[in-house]
Amino acid sequence: MPLKLLLQLSTRNILRHKRRNGLLLAAIIVAVGAVTVSNSLIRGMQYDMADAAVSNLTGHVKILAEGYRDDPNIDKNFVLAENWQPDVAAEELVGWAARVRVPAVIMSERGTRGIQFVGIDPDQEDISFIGQAAYDGERLTDGSDGRVVIGRALAEQLETTVGRRLVIITQGADGLNREAGFRIAGLYDTDGTSLEKIFVFTGVNTLQKMVGADVFTELSIRLVREPFLFQFKTSMIEFFTGLEVLDWRELEPQAAAMFVFADAAIFIWFFIMMGALIFGLVNTLITSVMERVRELGMLRAVGMRPKSVIVQVVLESSILMFIGVACGLIAGWLFILWLGEGIDLSRFAEGMDAFGMRTTMRPIPLAGDMLLVAGLSLLFGVLASLYPAWRVVKIKPLEALRR
Amino acid sequence: MSSDIVVSCKGVSRTYQEESVPVHALRGVDFEFARGEFVSIAGPSGSGKSTLLNVIGGLDRPDAGTITVDGVELNGLNETELSDLRLHKMGFVFQSYNLIPVLSALENVEFIMQLQGVGPAERAERAMSMLDSLDIVDLADRRPGDMSGGQQQRVAIARSIVTNPVLLLADEPSANLDSATTEDLLQLLRRLNEERGVSILTATHDPIVMSYAQRQVNLRDGAIVEDSAAKVA
Ligand SMILES: Nc1ncnc2c1ncn2[C@@H]1O[C@H](COP(=O)(O)OP(=O)(O)O)[C@@H](O)[C@H]1O
Ligand SMILES: [Mg+2]
Repeated sequence: MPLKLLLQLSTRNILRHKRRNGLLLAAIIVAVGAVTVSNSLIRGMQYDMADAAVSNLTGHVKILAEGYRDDPNIDKNFVLAENWQPDVAAEELVGWAARVRVPAVIMSERGTRGIQFVGIDPDQEDISFIGQAAYDGERLTDGSDGRVVIGRALAEQLETTVGRRLVIITQGADGLNREAGFRIAGLYDTDGTSLEKIFVFTGVNTLQKMVGADVFTELSIRLVREPFLFQFKTSMIEFFTGLEVLDWRELEPQAAAMFVFADAAIFIWFFIMMGALIFGLVNTLITSVMERVRELGMLRAVGMRPKSVIVQVVLESSILMFIGVACGLIAGWLFILWLGEGIDLSRFAEGMDAFGMRTTMRPIPLAGDMLLVAGLSLLFGVLASLYPAWRVVKIKPLEALRR
Repeated sequence: MSSDIVVSCKGVSRTYQEESVPVHALRGVDFEFARGEFVSIAGPSGSGKSTLLNVIGGLDRPDAGTITVDGVELNGLNETELSDLRLHKMGFVFQSYNLIPVLSALENVEFIMQLQGVGPAERAERAMSMLDSLDIVDLADRRPGDMSGGQQQRVAIARSIVTNPVLLLADEPSANLDSATTEDLLQLLRRLNEERGVSILTATHDPIVMSYAQRQVNLRDGAIVEDSAAKVA
């Protein structure tokens, strides 16, 4: 059957009812555009959450001494060879950092707080939030820097600032308390405030000296690609026998659950939108087919096969869907461009950083998501037209002509 | 001689169930139609004219009897084969809704050739010359909505015979036309029959239409009560 002829009939029939089909088209464009934008925002949130979780001193993979998670203390430590390097291709690796992390108490003239005291090599910390944060004052210079950097929020609580001194108390490797004074090199600033209140950093050698042991309590490794994680983790488990090798999903189960939920949300949102749209589509198609029932009966009476009538109706729906999806994707894309770096939610964002979200919603449009929306929409367009097509073909040509 | 028989009906019956009451639309009709004839089926409304045309045209199936069109027995055909038979052997002119509203007159005339797979150049040429011989070239670019009823029926006739069907079936083609337009249309049909040898089978209860045909078959209550050919023979 000549497809060209059917295409011509379908397009002209669409143009015959400009208002009705225009409205339908507008609905498709809005729905597809909205799904595209919301998908990109969901993706943005998802990636931010994962990013924040990984940056949260976690890395993709983290190595800890057995028991450290239940009782984080300097006894649960391990030794790392001087020139240790992870056995992994350079293009798969962002970096790694070995740290000492112990619970401690920090005191200023004005207040006392419980904190996590972390000894770091600043050169290794590109992989975590502390390497990426903004600072008032100075950063730590190297692993033997004897000063501390603290979060801005903690500085406010302790009513202290850059250049002042603080006292920190923690337990040494021998089980006795150690107390030392530190000068504040700088105040770091993160998106939320919860990290700022918890983590206090100093040079890793400084902290090792303070606790009296040349050891580490954690090793974080950050990868370029999330999908490489599984393979890499397996090799680390083999290497670090006797230690715990955990990935970020195990360390940040809440963020991991949200990550999975975001995948589902993209589908749920799409199906809700499509569900509403399909009602409109089926309705419009039934109307348009039923008001042409005599015409379609005549076409079959003069020898057009039922299959061709079905194709004609399916084409009508597909053409509308195709144009709608194309315009919808473009509209969504333009809107995403307009959003640019994101929507600032900081005014509503009290407590959002607890979930590892940023206070700006940053759209991340993925080609895969768009293709999925386009493909599924077209599929639904075809499926939605089968029922009206079947209904009109079920009517015998003579019956149709008599109406 | 038998190859010149285009349609042959033997003992054709058709019964409808109207709310479980059987309506005998055709009761054992025997009927033969030769190539080149112009036959008018006459009879009052409800006598079974449309039913007879429909079963001959493969739009409806008889409950009993056999129908042969151009050597093909219709009983043995499935829906798709019937559909193809209508496409390739029949021309249809209905009372109304003959034309596709979104196509121009020329495109409507080309339409069936398009379904048959005739190439665009040949199609356009044949359609144009058909419009020309029916004196409606000026309608070529108009859509059905912008034509009068008589003009639409002319275009419908052009469409139905441009493919050289073995048979043109016209069920009450003038039912919606005034009498002057009806006469024009009938003159056209007669001319096509005489000059081009188109075989025409028409049904009507209109006395004007009957007078134009060379042969009249009278139906009453689903049975042939009179056949002018039989008298001549
Ligand atoms: N689809 C149908 N269902 C039920 N009865 C029908 C149907 N078509 C025709 N009939 C009946 O069959 C008889 C013959 O109808 P028809 O062939 O249309 O007559 P005519 O064309 O001569 O007016 C009428 O009594 C009509 O009511
Ligand atoms: Mg009738």
